[in-house]
Amino acid sequence: MPKDQQRNILDAVSAPIEVARGLPNAHYTDPGTIAEENEAVLTRTWAALAVGADVPEPGDCKPLEFLGQPLLLLRDKDGTLRVFQNICRHRGMILVDAPRKIEGAIRCPYHSWCYAKDGRLVSTPHVGGPGQNSHPDMDRATLGLIEVRSHIWRDVVFVNLSGDAAPFEEVHADLLTRWQEMDKPLYHGGPDSSFVLEVATNWKLAVENYCESYHLPWVHPGLNSYSRLEDHYHIENQGRFSGQGTYVYRQLKGDDGEVFPDFEGLGEFWDEGAEYVALYPNVLLGVQRDHAFAIVLEPVTHDKTREHVHLYYAKPDIDEELREKNAAQWKEVFAEDVFVVEGMQKGRAAAGFDGGRFSPAMDGPTHLFHAWVAEKVAALRAEKDAL
Amino acid sequence: MPSDLDARLLAAHAADDRPALIALYRAASEASETETARRFYLTHAYVYALEAGSDLAPALRARLVELGAETAE
Repeated sequence: MPKDQQRNILDAVSAPIEVARGLPNAHYTDPGTIAEENEAVLTRTWAALAVGADVPEPGDCKPLEFLGQPLLLLRDKDGTLRVFQNICRHRGMILVDAPRKIEGAIRCPYHSWCYAKDGRLVSTPHVGGPGQNSHPDMDRATLGLIEVRSHIWRDVVFVNLSGDAAPFEEVHADLLTRWQEMDKPLYHGGPDSSFVLEVATNWKLAVENYCESYHLPWVHPGLNSYSRLEDHYHIENQGRFSGQGTYVYRQLKGDDGEVFPDFEGLGEFWDEGAEYVALYPNVLLGVQRDHAFAIVLEPVTHDKTREHVHLYYAKPDIDEELREKNAAQWKEVFAEDVFVVEGMQKGRAAAGFDGGRFSPAMDGPTHLFHAWVAEKVAALRAEKDAL
Repeated sequence: MPSDLDARLLAAHAADDRPALIALYRAASEASETETARRFYLTHAYVYALEAGSDLAPALRARLVELGAETAE
């Protein structure tokens, strides 16, 4: 397609909501288009990779793949969490093939080069010949594990693969400020407070669905008795995040009326207020007076997404029964969305679909996300055209 | 290397018995007749000790430095 026509299509996405169309089908079905989009919106930004609770103890490590990149989440002996490329600096061998605790050092299974838990190269056996473990041309100080730029916020581990994004606190200053009151210690509820949903959809459709409250009465009818559509409001921050809030958050109660402890020092708004935000590109966050959650969207392929759901509390020792009840409740809600995001993915095979329209009244947060993707892709194309 | 030591080393590798590997490679180093062999086997003992976070690792490294197999830190 000629470049001017490509630009017109993306312009139509970022046009005012009243006239805008959604992203074209190719952004959901065509691996070539998606590869370009990945560079624009997942590689050059702060993308969510994992959570700190994936490696809770010093020495814990977990290999991950993100956009085909082999990465390693590694917590050192002092508790600092870093992300490295999961490869040996010698011949590029994969270092760690399964989550485990590193007792002393990471030993490459190929020629046994060893790395400390902070990434330093500490041993190069026989590198200078049999029984000679150094060589003047092999400077260990320059051959440590390759670190990937990372930042942790609300226990979510973000990575900037391109290495040149503005600092996380700068990019996301608005949400950090908006949720400053919620900036409290978070305690992961443990294994029973995390689950994974394997969904046959492009990751963006999970964001799009999460952003808006329009679907709630239809897809989550259980909410209708206490959380009506008019009890929700849009959250819209152009180019950064969007989502929805509610004025009628209702705490989960146990059989004897017990509730989770609240985060300390919250204002009156949070008595019944709650907010659900998609932080661009790929993490869905929820904050409430007594617990929070993060859903890291792992883009597996152009039509497969792994949703990693993690629940957090205000205190470390939460009643197990209530915790399990809460996880089950959220799992039910999130599972109700699966047929929708999978249905939209299938729908994107329809050749005549033009990306769809947005309700000016109800779809503002979703449109903001589409517009952000379109603008990022257009900027990348303009940058490459200028070369 | 004595054949029984060789057999025990192979068994330790098959069982992925790291403490045994550290001890046996150290023994193999001590039983070696050439400097190169001593350094070679002691390197293996050190690498497995380093990987395991064994208390023996610093002493093994120091010995490798003495033998000229490793640079001083």
